[in-house]
Parts: sequence; C-alpha cells; structure tokens
Amino acid sequence: MDTFETLREIIATKFDKPLDEITPDATFESLEIDSLDTFDIIFDAEEKFGIKVPNDEVDIKTVSDVVALLDRLRAAQGK
Amino acid sequence: MTVRRVAVTGLGVLSPVGNDPKTFFANLMAGKSGIKRMETDFVDSLDFKIAAYINDYEPLDHFVKNKAATMDRVTQFAVSASQQAINDAGLNLETEDLERFGVYLGTGMGGAASIEEGYVRLYKEQARRLKPFTVLMAMNNAASAQVALDFGITGPDLTFCTACSSSSVAIGEAVRQIRHGYTDVMLAGGSEALLTFGTIKAWEALRTLADEDEVNPSASCKPFSGNRSGLVLGEGAGMVILEDMDRAIARGAKIYAEVIGYGSSNDSTHITQPSVEGQSRAMRKALAEANISADQLDYINAHGTGTKLNDITETNAIKQVCGNKIPVSSTKSMHGHLMGAAGAVEFVACMMAIQEQALPPTAHLVVPDPECDLDYVPNIGRKNVKVETIMSNSFAFGGTSGVLIAKKVG
Repeated sequence: MDTFETLREIIATKFDKPLDEITPDATFESLEIDSLDTFDIIFDAEEKFGIKVPNDEVDIKTVSDVVALLDRLRAAQGK
Repeated sequence: MTVRRVAVTGLGVLSPVGNDPKTFFANLMAGKSGIKRMETDFVDSLDFKIAAYINDYEPLDHFVKNKAATMDRVTQFAVSASQQAINDAGLNLETEDLERFGVYLGTGMGGAASIEEGYVRLYKEQARRLKPFTVLMAMNNAASAQVALDFGITGPDLTFCTACSSSSVAIGEAVRQIRHGYTDVMLAGGSEALLTFGTIKAWEALRTLADEDEVNPSASCKPFSGNRSGLVLGEGAGMVILEDMDRAIARGAKIYAEVIGYGSSNDSTHITQPSVEGQSRAMRKALAEANISADQLDYINAHGTGTKLNDITETNAIKQVCGNKIPVSSTKSMHGHLMGAAGAVEFVACMMAIQEQALPPTAHLVVPDPECDLDYVPNIGRKNVKVETIMSNSFAFGGTSGVLIAKKVG
C-alpha cells in the first residue's frame, strides 16, 4: 500500500477535497483542515496500515509530514 | 448603575413544528403536532416509541462537510437558530461592538449524541481510539462556544445547565447583563438534541414518558387532560436577540416586546417532584420584578409537561399567584418537551403571540381533569385577542425555576 496514495484517499473522502489539491507539499492550513482533524486523519491511517501511532506531540504542517511520519512507523513496526 | 430596559428584537427557532418563527407559530395556532412514531434503527428496542424530531434540517445546507462533522447536533441547532435571530434583528456584525455582545445558552444534556457515539465505538466496536473532536463536541459548553466563535462574539459567553429550565434561566440572566450595563446585546436561548438510544432509555426508566396514543401517535402528549400519561421528548433550539431598549429604538429595530420580569428560585423539596410553593415563588419573584399585578397578564405559557404531577402542581401554583381567569396553554402538546431548549422555544411562541395577537392552544385536551380547572385554551387557538403581557413558565428536575414576563411596547 502506497502511503501517500492511501493518505490522499483518506483526506479526499473525509473532507470532500479533489484529489489534485492534495499534493505532498500542500499544507493542512491551505486545505482548510484543522490541526485536530489531522489527528483524525492519522488515526484513520493507523487503522488502515495496522500500525500504532504513539501519543507524542508531532509537528505536522504538510501532507508529506504525515507521509514521513507514517513511513517511519511502518518501517519500524514492519507493516 | 443605571437600570436599562431590555428589548427583544430578533427570534430564531428550530422546532418539531417548524424551523422559523412564522411557520412554528402558524402550526401551533393550527393545533398541528410534531410528535410522531420514531423511525430510528433502535426503535424496536424502545418501550416508548414516540418523539418530536426536527424535520427538514440538513446540516450541510448550513455548514461545510468537515465543519459539520466537528459539531454535535445540539451545536448545529444552536448556531442555525442564532443565525436566524441575528438576521431577524437586522444586526450587522461587522459594525457591532462585539465586546459588548454576549451569548447565554441553556442546554440540558449538551452533546449527548457525541458522548454516546464515543461509548458505542469504545464498548461496542472495541475501538482503540476515539475521534479527536469527541471532548469538544460533547462538552456542555460546546454550543455556546461555537455560537461565539462563528459570529466573532467576544463578550460574556456562558452555558446554563438547569435541566428543563436551562434556556429560560439563560434568557433571564442575559436580560440582567444588559439591564445592569455589562453588555448592550445578547444572543440568549437554548438548544437540545438528546434523542439518542441511551438517553431515551434513561428517560424510559424514569417512568415519566407518555404512552403512545393508540389512535393518533401525534396526540400522545396531553397536558392538563384527564387522560394524560406523561411527557414526550423532543429536540430543537430557540435563540433570541436581546438589546438595550434605547439602542433598539435609536436604530429603528423591530421590537417584539420588552422583558420586564424574571424570577428564578429552587423548589428545594425533591429532585424530581415539583412543589406548588417553589413554582409560585418563582412566579411571584418575576411579577415583583416586572412591578405588575398578576391580573395584568394576558397569557401564561405553562411549563405543562403532560405528567400527572406537574400539571396539577402548576395549576395550583398559577391559581395561588394569578387566580383562575388568565388563559394558560401548554404548547408542549405539539412541539414536545425540548428540555434545555424548551423555555426559549416557548418564549419565542410568546413573542409571536404578542406579534400576532393570538393565543396558541393546548392540543389534545379532551378529557376534563377536576384537578386541572384553569382556562387552558383547549384545542383551538384564539385569534384577534388582546395579548400585551405574557408570562412563560419553566420548571425542572433539580428544582430550578425560570419564569419570564414580557410586555408589548407602544
């Protein structure tokens, strides 16, 4: 499963966004997605990939920040 | 401090009998009930299957999708009713001094659906995580907070939680904010959206819900009638714009009425059982503040829940304070019991009664009860009557009463 494509689909469905707006460089602010909603996205991805996201504070601004976080966790947890 | 007069200049309502003040009042006058058989997926697990829902309300007509998803139904109702009231009052928020503008909102159960959704995910679906917005959607002050946020209001923002009198108390306390000069304008009222499986089951256990009328489910709530069997749960919101009278006159606002009296007290007798003494105390306090005698009232909108005990107690309290000549009606017979929103929605009915010079009926009052012997405006509303001064009663589990008196201006 491609992390970016999966994430893109989660965001598009949840927030009614056209896929082409969701680029790796897009900030959540520009997508009008609240910081709390980014956690909702991460939790959905957590379920999709079968990983466990720690409860630490993470600094997330762009879509690629989330991709990097998920990729790191997938690699570490072998998923 | 100067005591200022307080005008009602805007109305907003979402109710089981209409989602704007005009439709709402027209349906009340026509004796149309919004109570019906529930159509939810859990209806088979309920012993009492009737309720009063908001109809024709699509959240996405009012909010974008991701915003709607972060607002409990109770908050959506509150914001929509507030928007109506602001529009009705003709306020331009861009030129308002929003620091002198406050929000006082009553709700009984706050974000009931969000709490329940969280528990379902956790206990039933064994989810490991809840939605990040769960706390923010469920908290009791979510609705008043969102109203302030959406309209940029930076004055006092408080939530009143006194069960079924919450929104009458919110309006009464908001009046005092203006009267004593702390604010110039207030959005005040209440919102409730508690028709969830768990909440209804909890109410069932209290044994206060009405039996379904076998012939006509919409006639199940029968306040003051000898065959009444209880209340019917409902949902909705009522919000009003209260405004410093001088300011309202200066800007040429439409003025529905002046709020002249508010009385609040606690029965302090029992957590559920109402008391004649407690209810009459609140009415007396409101009349004293209004500085009028009871015979100057043209109409009383009763708390009138339709339970055996409330309706007798309230009848006796009204008799003790106001005598037996003033028309009294319970519009709950049609819109159901909107709990934390009840007082505000009924206050909106009173404002429309003054505007239309008409009294809404108590519907489904067909069997006389010798212990309920006032003029309840049975079944048929009265048009072309003098309605200048009204009293709206709200009582509650927990014992907190909120009684409002308003008077036509000019």
